[in-house]
Amino acid sequence: MAGLSIENARKSFGETQVLRGVSIDVADGEFAVIVGPSGCGKSTLLRAVAGLEELTEGRIAIGGRDVTDLPPSARGIAMVFQSYALYPHLTVYENMAFALRIAQADKGAIDSAVRGAAAILNIEGLLERKPAALSGGQRQRVAIGRAIVRQPQIFLFDEPLSNLDADLRVRMRYEFAALHKTLGTTTLYVTHDQVEAMTLADRIIVLRDGRIEQIGTPRELYERPANIFVAQFLGTPRMNIIPAVLTTDGRARLDDGREINLPTMAAALAPGTRVSVGIRPEHLRIGAAPDALPFTISFVERLGGLATVHLQADGAGERIACQFRDDGSLSEGATIALQLPPDCLHLFDAGGGALPREAYK
Amino acid sequence: MSARHWTVTLLAALVALLTIAPLLWMLSVSFMAPGEAAQFPPPLLPADPSLANYRTLFSTFGIGRFLANSILVSTLATILALIFTIPAGYAFAKLRFTGRDATFRLLVAALVVPGQIGMLPLFLELKAMGLVNSYAGALVPWLAGIFGIFLVRQYCLSIPDEMLEAARIDGASEGQILRRIVLPILAPIIVTLALFVFLGSWNDFMWPLIILADQQLYTLPVALAAMSREHVQDNELMMAGAVVTTLPVLILFLALQRFYLTGLLTGSVKG
Repeated sequence: MAGLSIENARKSFGETQVLRGVSIDVADGEFAVIVGPSGCGKSTLLRAVAGLEELTEGRIAIGGRDVTDLPPSARGIAMVFQSYALYPHLTVYENMAFALRIAQADKGAIDSAVRGAAAILNIEGLLERKPAALSGGQRQRVAIGRAIVRQPQIFLFDEPLSNLDADLRVRMRYEFAALHKTLGTTTLYVTHDQVEAMTLADRIIVLRDGRIEQIGTPRELYERPANIFVAQFLGTPRMNIIPAVLTTDGRARLDDGREINLPTMAAALAPGTRVSVGIRPEHLRIGAAPDALPFTISFVERLGGLATVHLQADGAGERIACQFRDDGSLSEGATIALQLPPDCLHLFDAGGGALPREAYK
Repeated sequence: MSARHWTVTLLAALVALLTIAPLLWMLSVSFMAPGEAAQFPPPLLPADPSLANYRTLFSTFGIGRFLANSILVSTLATILALIFTIPAGYAFAKLRFTGRDATFRLLVAALVVPGQIGMLPLFLELKAMGLVNSYAGALVPWLAGIFGIFLVRQYCLSIPDEMLEAARIDGASEGQILRRIVLPILAPIIVTLALFVFLGSWNDFMWPLIILADQQLYTLPVALAAMSREHVQDNELMMAGAVVTTLPVLILFLALQRFYLTGLLTGSVKG
């Protein structure tokens, strides 16, 4: 096992810059998840680590060894693709044994490696089948098995769950976490699904337009997002962002004229500053209070135990969403009073960057 | 069964009958006595079936040698065509190199030029190389048919890049990827292509006629044409010659039909 270090990775396809100076350090045994919207460069970064894309500039080291110019097979990595990429004419056993056979490993060693990996993944009964005779989840396991057999220093996963149905995705997510616990191999995992990122990662790397927006533990990113993009990318439904102006008494005036309390203000924030106030839907509270604001329910999405409620401020205010336990009492057209607990508020400057919490807490 | 179903079945049977009738009559005539087929109305079946025409063909005209020549030329043409077109088609589909798409477009554009137009320049080139009147010369046009390259390329495009990348990560060289991953996947299209080339070279008349001067080197169609010039009246003998020419490829075609159809259909829809 080994850590991974990416320094100033840049990649261009013609005029298009896909990676614009990405630097990441993944510690030995860490499960790092790269997350970002489509086209942010996350798959390109993963493919560069695998050696399937050549970097325009930058350096990649695995276990302290510079692998930037090494072919994929010499990098000590194994990769699981979104489409599984199993060899259709080979049995599960042959698929898993392929790399070792190419390396002309001893027959006994191949057999024990394949059967060992199959036992870990609970696919011993499938070894003689061809990929076409497997379900999506089974194919996924075989693809992981093929990676395990190589005993890589680093696992690379490229959106491995996106082809599975919702139920299977949840199960496989759990299995990925368990597998990482068992093997302890350094893992770089790419996804556009923030739930996967939040549940699997030791650390999340949020990428946008080929740049890192923030790196941190899931909790850090959820509680202290570096900017509006990260704040809204993680968390479902996404964080509400309400434009406001700071007042002289340390409150924030929303565009419709109503005012809300902010956390204790520091002198660093001058009255009149335009800010964006962020609050996660799950942090809004229903209930009359002196500082509660009235909102009209425009739409209720009932999810069973929970309901996502879309609200419109009376007048020309912002649309916001909040999430409550669904007791059936919320109906469209009703007006409710909402509290915005100051401790749960996030403040962002005009450029979208988070104001340091120390500045207002 | 509905009336519509019956109509379609009857129409299909009629078309099949119309298609196969000349072949059946060819077979029937080959067993007739000399002059029997020239009667009016022509008989459908031989009055006294005999293998005399086949005996004459093999003993007097030595058609066995031409049969062997044809088998040799067609087999070599098929093997050589596969050796050249499969890697070429694969490279055009899956490997990145400068000028790849431009070269391929140029090749495809050349498909519209009739083969006959190239025959004279090709003949002059081969003459300069000293390959006229040799099987090497007869095989040249089959080496890397553009259609074959096109066929293999189109099929290779349906192979996911990720599968090849997985093999690269697994440590396979480009040659190993072609041999151990791509070729097995290409099996249906290889059978199809082999059949096309074999049939094409087996039935080819024009090029062997131009390039082969020595009668001993003649392939079946050329030998049969030479024979028909001398025995233009001998329909029954000619039909026996036609049967000897047609039957091997017909059997081959029917034997490989299952793979051939798979090859033509696979890749047409996303699996």
